[in-house]
Amino acid sequence: MTISDYLVTDDLTVLLGFIGVSVFLLQNLYKPQPLVHPILLGRQSDAGRVRHSGESAVYRNYGTGLMGRFPVRPDKDVDIVTDFVKPDFDAPRTLWSTKITNAQLKARVSAFGSGIAQLVPEDSTVLILLNDCIEFVITDLALSEQSIASITLSSPRLLARVLEMHPPNAIITDNTYLPHVHKATHDAHQHDYELIVVDWLRPDLLDTIKRHAWSRVESWGKVPQTPKNAPQAGSAYTVSFFETPSGEMRCVQLSHENFTSGVTAIKALFPAAINISTLDTIVSSHSLSTPYGRAIAYAALFEGASFATLPSTGVFRDGDAPALDVADILSATKFPIPSPTILFLKPEHVQSLASSVMDRAKKSFFMFPLAWRHKFASLTEGFVTKDSLWDRTVFGKAREDVLGKMADTVKAVVISGGLLPSDTLVSARLALSIPLINTHTHGSAAGPLFATHAFDLQMLPGADEPAHVGAPSVNVEVKLVGVNDNVVEKGADPIGKILVRGPSVGNMLSADGEAGEKNAWVHTGEMARVMTNGAFKVLGSM
Amino acid sequence: MAYTLDFGTPVNTALLIYILYSVQKIVFPSTSIPKTVPSEFKHGYSWMPKEHPPTVLFKTYTPKTLEPFNGKNGGRILLAINSIVFDVTAGRNFYGPDGMYGNFAGRDASRGMAKQSFDLDMLTAVDQPLDKLQDLRPDEIENMKGWIEHFSNKYVICGKLVENDAA
Repeated sequence: MTISDYLVTDDLTVLLGFIGVSVFLLQNLYKPQPLVHPILLGRQSDAGRVRHSGESAVYRNYGTGLMGRFPVRPDKDVDIVTDFVKPDFDAPRTLWSTKITNAQLKARVSAFGSGIAQLVPEDSTVLILLNDCIEFVITDLALSEQSIASITLSSPRLLARVLEMHPPNAIITDNTYLPHVHKATHDAHQHDYELIVVDWLRPDLLDTIKRHAWSRVESWGKVPQTPKNAPQAGSAYTVSFFETPSGEMRCVQLSHENFTSGVTAIKALFPAAINISTLDTIVSSHSLSTPYGRAIAYAALFEGASFATLPSTGVFRDGDAPALDVADILSATKFPIPSPTILFLKPEHVQSLASSVMDRAKKSFFMFPLAWRHKFASLTEGFVTKDSLWDRTVFGKAREDVLGKMADTVKAVVISGGLLPSDTLVSARLALSIPLINTHTHGSAAGPLFATHAFDLQMLPGADEPAHVGAPSVNVEVKLVGVNDNVVEKGADPIGKILVRGPSVGNMLSADGEAGEKNAWVHTGEMARVMTNGAFKVLGSM
Repeated sequence: MAYTLDFGTPVNTALLIYILYSVQKIVFPSTSIPKTVPSEFKHGYSWMPKEHPPTVLFKTYTPKTLEPFNGKNGGRILLAINSIVFDVTAGRNFYGPDGMYGNFAGRDASRGMAKQSFDLDMLTAVDQPLDKLQDLRPDEIENMKGWIEHFSNKYVICGKLVENDAA
């Protein structure tokens, strides 16, 4: 047979030819497009050109740039914290269990402010020992408006030390924690302070100190008095005490500008496609007693979104804290808020959620391996979606079984408050299929210090290290100290202790309560490594 | 048409094998992650640049250690104004050996910047103490500060200049 006999073509050839061409086109052109172009992920932060010996260069977010000014307010009119409650916004939204409009909220804030101004002298300090509730927000805004300093604690263990060192003129607490407060003040031999209690229900407690019901204080202020000093953006109005992992107590002074910058940074976490608006409901697992938790609440207030916190945020309680798992997340649905759309969770929550969803998804024996394979392949291309075929068949149902109605409405999850293991990240991205923004926060800053790009789906090596936390936030600059010069000059990644500076980082006070110089570098007490693409990996406390 | 695997028509067989292979790749996509991280974004989505952006280590220079950085061997060009050392390698046309202001390369150019002159007598010798600039008029000091501004925006500040015996 000759060559031409071998190359005989017939109708079957034409058919197979068509099929072959279409399969070829399908395979090569139907690759999913990455959600963010990988070239942007190769240069996430802007690094300084010069570095001092033993330090790394100064890093800033690439969008802000080394020469750029830090964004300090989310909108041009927002200077002080009470400006977050926009007067021209009419629609009501639900905060925990209270449906309230901005005008009503502003009225309650000025009422409480006037009430408490009658109770405590000017230049006094008020200690807020409340778990998260609308009274906390009203108290905080009212005290800031009246320029009365407030103190918050991130842990009940700090109470004794704070009462000793900075005795307040008034303490605001709630019914369940009242006995502890009595005991602590008795131990600290402090007796002359005003006590304001939310949900005052126990008239049987004998005491020598003055106590008032929170709602009565609010009713005293029905005739509002204008505050004596109008608050300024730069003036400090609150002090937050927090514990380092080694048990040491640190104290930071925060001003209105710190919180407006914090809210700006939180808003900048979300790109335009998924930004916060009035249609959103934010659920947070960070206590309002921390600056970051409060900034999340203010961001929700500013955008007109509904807001609630998880029960695990309660700092002042009897007994153990609830576990950080899916049940904790689901308890947000007990509040009469619309179904949550944005969740601010801790790494333990995300781990628990991802493993629950994957376990449920594995129940469909035949489809799961194929679905997992397809989703993983599209992750390696940088693409993920909640509406793919594999979600409709396998993962969507698993998410619904675990999260209920929330599965449909959640559009983004922000992770902070700990180190997220790398292997959790991949399974969480697969299971949830929504943008997961890994951030790093610290008790001294109102906004996040580091944040990943919302659509970053890279799978980088380093399975035994925590997941990277991205570039510095839009209004923070970072440098590492204690860096090995020889190693860095040869081109290795700098590893050192983190120092941060920026408008959202508060003013750290020394042990005696002396304010440091303004805009000083703050040690966060953690080690980090910078990668070549400008993203940071926080390695843990020193 | 009969769908038999007819080895008499190799063209059909080849096409069939190709189609089966492609369909298998579509239905069972590859989930392997490359062992080494690609260093170009064209080679993979999860990529990392090979190197960090270049940074210069801030050093303390004396007139003697600054002098070699005059660009004569094709190396870095540094120049100092008011004890601030700038890396002007990017301006080789001006400050290189053949440039108009080449006199200033590797030297303390404070007096020349203040008096707006590039003459050699504006420079002090490298083994002499640093020029104290005490006899400059206020407007010359202002001029020098203006030049420092200009240089700070255009070039990188990479060190400071101290006396020969102070380092």
